[in-house]
Amino acid sequence: MKKTIMITGGSKGLGKSLALGFAKQQHRIAICARGEHDLRTVKEQAETLGAEVVALKADISDATDVEKFVSIVEDHFGSVDVLINNASIFGPGPKQHLDYTDETFSNVLKVNIMNPFLVTKRVLPGMIANRSGSVINLTSEAGRTGFAEWGAYGISKFAVEGMTETWASEVAEYDIRMNMVDPGEMDTAMHSRAVPDCDYDLAAPEERLDVFFYLASEQSNKHNGERFEAATFINKAGVQSE
Amino acid sequence: MNKTKVPFQIPAHLHAASPAELRQGERDNVKLMVLDPLTGQRRHTNFRDIINTFQAGDVLVLNQSRTIPSSLHATGARGDVEVRLARKIDKHRFEVLLVGNSYEEEENIYFQNGILATVEGKGSEHPLQVLNFKHGGISLMEFIYEHGSPIYYEYINDPWPLSKYQTVFSSIPGSIEMTSAGRAFTWRILSSLISKGVHICYVTLHTSLSYYGNNKWPTPSNHPELYSIPRETVTTVNVAKAEGRKVIAVGTTVVRALESAVSEGRLTPQKSVPTHLYINGNYSLEITDALLTGFHEPEASHLDLLKAFINEDILLKAYNEALKQEYLWHEFGDMNLIMTGVS
Repeated sequence: MKKTIMITGGSKGLGKSLALGFAKQQHRIAICARGEHDLRTVKEQAETLGAEVVALKADISDATDVEKFVSIVEDHFGSVDVLINNASIFGPGPKQHLDYTDETFSNVLKVNIMNPFLVTKRVLPGMIANRSGSVINLTSEAGRTGFAEWGAYGISKFAVEGMTETWASEVAEYDIRMNMVDPGEMDTAMHSRAVPDCDYDLAAPEERLDVFFYLASEQSNKHNGERFEAATFINKAGVQSE
Repeated sequence: MNKTKVPFQIPAHLHAASPAELRQGERDNVKLMVLDPLTGQRRHTNFRDIINTFQAGDVLVLNQSRTIPSSLHATGARGDVEVRLARKIDKHRFEVLLVGNSYEEEENIYFQNGILATVEGKGSEHPLQVLNFKHGGISLMEFIYEHGSPIYYEYINDPWPLSKYQTVFSSIPGSIEMTSAGRAFTWRILSSLISKGVHICYVTLHTSLSYYGNNKWPTPSNHPELYSIPRETVTTVNVAKAEGRKVIAVGTTVVRALESAVSEGRLTPQKSVPTHLYINGNYSLEITDALLTGFHEPEASHLDLLKAFINEDILLKAYNEALKQEYLWHEFGDMNLIMTGVS
């Protein structure tokens, strides 16, 4: 069944792959990003695949922009069925905590924690009224193990994991599910920033989409508050994407 | 315009000028007057006590419409004008109230970012007019969200952000003014009610303007508002009615939506249709048993709607007591539950 899939940070990397992947399945796509040019390119590509797309420039660590983005999507499509909180920033690149400026540390936490908080809070009432919805938060291996020099990014993902578990138990009574996905290492601009001298092969974001298709589908109705690893998803769950 | 037998005056200090959470710490920390419409008995309590007031099996109906930023500024040959959106007609057209300057048919007004609109004609009633925007659809909505603000009436001293004009459960954007009767609810209260066995249901009714300025008030029969009733709500409400359970409307907008969708005594599903229903003292309610609402001005049609629930004399006595007890009026104010057998 055709659904409205909302993806934050939908103009590049995994967000772009998710938008195009769900577009291929003919879902309705809602994407936002801070950069308008890349966003428009993804919109056109998704439309070429036959999807209806709403793409808006928005800084979703800002509540006013979140209100604009989600409201326009709800006005246009009627509802949001799946929210993928993908947008995040790495920060300044590998850096020891002692070298972080107060402002940079604060900014990475603000962007990476406030993004999923604000968008989820705005989207949940509609899902609750419809008694249906799936929220997928992006995490990382650095969200449960503290790696040297991954600084504020890793700490922000620890927070995202805590937020997912807390919220998942609060929304369970409304038949909403909220899970998280660790996509693993991928060939993206963010990975280049995090690991500038990477000397091993990386997966393309397109190879990591199956777990998202699964969590967007009704097949995953029983999962709530769980953590999935995209790289090993098919082997572990043995579930085909829809 | 509503005509009460004995108009009352609201003293200046009882106009709620700020959101409850800024006055009292939390949005649910407001007063609640529980009023029995048959006996006139009144109980004065805190809104949080509403959890104890409802019974398992009761149905609480919420309006999930979300407030849009409805006040915009424009200019033209006749000078600056505040454009108050009243109702979306289609992708390009809104019914509007022009405040500050008069513009005639076929005249253009200009907004920021080169957005242009033409006055197309008269609206559903005077003084509303229809504006046709050159932009439409998503780009028009984007402009409205980037440049609009909530409508600030004269008792509001500070330009509160749009977020203060939302209920916690609102979702679908379209209301011009906040569906304020639900403003005091928190998710914690709603969750407690669900745990108790109270059914929570939703309707959508996009509110239009409640006041035209210069002592002019809308007449409901000339004041269409779009509403929807989902099938789940229809089923829950009809089962509750058959079992003799109470259906409690959160706000006059919910009453209007529910009563507009009655066919042969039963609620029916509706999808984005206009209602012109005028509920007043002569109207016999078919679905709604009780009403949670704010406190209304003597001239407002909302007060007229209350007369379908309660004798006017009993209502005025209760309102006079609310004034003495210093209840706060308007969208950021205190609450009134009109329900038999609970005062």
